[in-house]
Amino acid sequence: MTMVQFDRVGKRYPGGKEALSGISFELARGEFAFLTGHSGAGKSTLLKLMMLMERPSRGQVFVDGQNLGRLRAGQIPYLRRKVGVVFQNHQLLFDRSVFDNVALPLQIAGYTPAEAGRRVRAALDSVGLLGMEKRNPIELSGGEQQRVGIARAVVNKPALLLADEPTGNLDPELSAEIMNLFLRFQQVGVTVLIASHDIALIEHMGHRRLILDHGHLHEGQIAGAGGIYG
Amino acid sequence: MAEPKNSVKTQAGASLQEIGMRKRLNAWAANHQLVAVETLMRLLSNPLGSLLTWMVIAIALTLPGALWMALDNMEQLSGRFQASGRITLYLTPKATEQQGQQLSDRIAALDSVANTEFIDADTALDDFRDNSGLQAALDFLPENPLPAVILVEPPLGIEQAALLRLIEQLKSYQLVDSVQLDMAWVERLQAMLALAERLIGVLGVLLALAILLVVGNTIRLAIAARVDEIRVVKLVGGTNAYVRRPFLYTGLWYGMVGGLLAWLLLILCWALLNGPVADLAELYGSGFELKPLSAGAAMALLLAAMLLGWLGAWWSVSRHLDHIEP
Ligand SMILES: Nc1ncnc2c1ncn2[C@@H]1O[C@H](COP(=O)(O)OP(=O)(O)OP(=O)(O)O)[C@@H](O)[C@H]1O
Ligand SMILES: [Mg+2]
Repeated sequence: MTMVQFDRVGKRYPGGKEALSGISFELARGEFAFLTGHSGAGKSTLLKLMMLMERPSRGQVFVDGQNLGRLRAGQIPYLRRKVGVVFQNHQLLFDRSVFDNVALPLQIAGYTPAEAGRRVRAALDSVGLLGMEKRNPIELSGGEQQRVGIARAVVNKPALLLADEPTGNLDPELSAEIMNLFLRFQQVGVTVLIASHDIALIEHMGHRRLILDHGHLHEGQIAGAGGIYG
Repeated sequence: MAEPKNSVKTQAGASLQEIGMRKRLNAWAANHQLVAVETLMRLLSNPLGSLLTWMVIAIALTLPGALWMALDNMEQLSGRFQASGRITLYLTPKATEQQGQQLSDRIAALDSVANTEFIDADTALDDFRDNSGLQAALDFLPENPLPAVILVEPPLGIEQAALLRLIEQLKSYQLVDSVQLDMAWVERLQAMLALAERLIGVLGVLLALAILLVVGNTIRLAIAARVDEIRVVKLVGGTNAYVRRPFLYTGLWYGMVGGLLAWLLLILCWALLNGPVADLAELYGSGFELKPLSAGAAMALLLAAMLLGWLGAWWSVSRHLDHIEP
């Protein structure tokens, strides 16, 4: 049961050098893994390939059994509904309330307001922000905004959750809290991949690590079977 | 924290949302309704921001609308003119000048006649000689070949039936040899109206293009102002149709408000012109009144405006929106 599979994936940005080369690995359904590496190693690029925010120059990417290279433009939105993403720059909309921000994916997916309302409150509750649904995200602290972003990423119950530096700019305590939040999602079956610089926290938490170095994946070969823990 | 645990539990493996087709359709319709209302509210809540676009649309529609209204009235009028061409009576050669003058006066006194003019045979010959350039040839003729003539002018706007009755009556006079209805100028008028119609058509197409450009540009600005939102919507799985929808509705509403304003302007034009036109018509003894735009034409105007607004938005959206990617 693989959730994500990379098969000899290379990515060269137009006019740039190779951001990724020869990347092969698998993530099992329900697996929890970290993606680490120096700045510019290609972590964000790798995550973007799974959302079709970028397309690989070589190789193939499969998500939930779908070959992303074969997806028509019209199918991309439906792929993205299966994948929740959390970015460091939270990408929240400041012209609407916390509730409306979190409700956006449900509104897009065609939920009735009543059903959406129930799910939004559940998602906000799971990140500990239930009391703040009516606030504007601009009034929230960085950590709170980050948690709104997480609530939005999980509200549609995605099968795959990707996070790019979700704890950047947060203090260690808050970082640990947010990591624990991701663990809770993994415990209920969501596949989670977190790109992070926070080596100390990662070491502390254990779990599988994918390490990128100048576009090359180090544990890729070994990780294929079951991953490296610790 | 009892409920959240539950809600998190249900997330297990739930990659496909099982919402019934019917529910989906309802949600789709509900989204249309929501977006329609929201976009309209957004426009109306900031009328100053949209005023310029509305006015440009309104004026661009009023111009051909007013011309079309004028043309419509002219055609109605020319329909009456058709029945009021000048009638020429050619008198028999036996008729003396005095008899001819008497007949002319008698005809002038008829209800269905506005005016008459008697031209005796000699004057007719003189006129003809002056105007035809056949002077030498005419001088060879032993006697005047031209009959005396009475020109009869029916009142403006006479009914077709009344005109036919008048012609019958004129034919029945013994001194009258033949009756001729002069329609050439009516035909000329109608040719000109057809030309005007064509010109209004061309003008209408040009102004429709102007509306497309104005709405397109307004929507382009609206898109530019909401790039961030569009990126996020696409990131969380918004389809192009979903992203396009509010902008298309906005275009539709621009067209609708512009169309309504144009309609008001046309009513204003009509109100301003109706009095003077009625006065003028009365001077000519006609009960002619300026017709306002019919309900059907007003409806067509409004629908055309909405269609143009929608098309303008669609054009802009298809050029700018699909390229915005997260
Ligand atoms: N849009 C782009 N166009 C051209 N080059 C790019 C683009 N995005 C990233 N790159 C290059 O690709 C390489 C990998 O970038 P990427 O953002 O994936 O690194 P990263 O591991 O996420 O780094 P960081 O930890 O700083 O976020 C870098 O050398 C970067 O300069
Ligand atoms: Mg990065």
